[in-house]
Amino acid sequence: MIREDEFASAAATGNVEHVGMLLQDGVDVNAVNRFGRTPLQVMMMGNTAVARLLLENGANPNVSDHSTGTTPLHDAAREGFLDTVKLLIQFQADISVKDYRSRRPIDLAQENGHLNVVYFLESL
Amino acid sequence: MAQDAAVQYEPVAEIGGGAYGTVYKARDRQSGQFVALKSVRVQTDQDGLPLSTVREVALLKRLEQFDHPNVVKLMDVCATLRTDHETKVTLVFEHVDQDLKTYLDKAPSPGLPASQIQDLMQQLMCGLAFLHSNCIIHRDLKPENILVTSRGQVKLADFGLARIYSCHMALTPVVVTLWYRAPEVLLQSTYATPVDIWSTGCIFAEMFRRKPLFCGESEVDQLGKIFEVIGLPTEEDWPTDVTLSQRNFSPFSNRPITDFVPEISHQGADLLLEMLTFDPLRRISALNALDHLYFQEG
Repeated sequence: MIREDEFASAAATGNVEHVGMLLQDGVDVNAVNRFGRTPLQVMMMGNTAVARLLLENGANPNVSDHSTGTTPLHDAAREGFLDTVKLLIQFQADISVKDYRSRRPIDLAQENGHLNVVYFLESL
Repeated sequence: MAQDAAVQYEPVAEIGGGAYGTVYKARDRQSGQFVALKSVRVQTDQDGLPLSTVREVALLKRLEQFDHPNVVKLMDVCATLRTDHETKVTLVFEHVDQDLKTYLDKAPSPGLPASQIQDLMQQLMCGLAFLHSNCIIHRDLKPENILVTSRGQVKLADFGLARIYSCHMALTPVVVTLWYRAPEVLLQSTYATPVDIWSTGCIFAEMFRRKPLFCGESEVDQLGKIFEVIGLPTEEDWPTDVTLSQRNFSPFSNRPITDFVPEISHQGADLLLEMLTFDPLRRISALNALDHLYFQEG
């Protein structure tokens, strides 16, 4: 497995130790895997430790999925992971960005009944 | 079966490999949601898919009708003809972006409150009782395939695949964790649904300890670590169909389980010991565990 794939897989499975090791080895935090996605885009959304590690090392929170236009903030909001939503915003994720169907992160949180995320995003 | 998985589901990362084939995190282009794609290559002839595969897939699809809250949904099954002799069967499962390992790791010190552990255990047992009543043995329960939604709903994943895979694939040697494995599996004796109860017992203890209960490095080492906690089984309890002898292990002084799982309640400790019973026939079942007094504590 090439390193970019390994990196994305470590983020997607929430393997904090492995993500940290690869970062220490100097792998580019914004490099895409063979599916064209960065680790932040595919990470286990509920894993705030991985999210923090990637963001602190310069992961771009505003990269959008080339087939749906969704950003990591859209995904975290849709899944209802408030801690990750807060972290992404702390690292300058754009809350007004729209996916290809013109939905903002708050719209996805609303659609899926994650009221805590809706209230938080409204309060900003 | 639908014909083309590649159009509707786009893989974004590999999230599992090894003996069972590759697992991908993918995006459903229609809903925008993440799913888990699990593929297996099956040898086919003029009659199409082997009956055993069709049967196993049918069993998994039948489970869907119950819409059980504590198992992941099987959303779709796709078959793609690869060559004249090989078909790729792809199972599309609901994907939850948090596992129990992550959930336990991120709980603030000193760990999960007792009421939350009780709730997680109850959901886990409900999922397990459902699988077992449908004659499905999970075989590989561990914190990585017990998923927890952002609302705290537990969903078991990766069940029912072992038989589909083992029928049709040369098992590639991969490192699989021994830590949640039941003694009868480690001893290569016959096994059934009680193996999942054992794994769940290990996970129950881990919720309190915030680290695994038995961290063996080989089968024998794993058994040694188990006996250190539950005591060495008697020779009468030792299975007769195994090569490893009971005399290979030294007897340990029986220490109370609360030495190893300090924060657990009296009823919790009682249930835990019922789950970590050496003899699989005397180990508590998922249904009986749900009736245990531990779940009435509050």
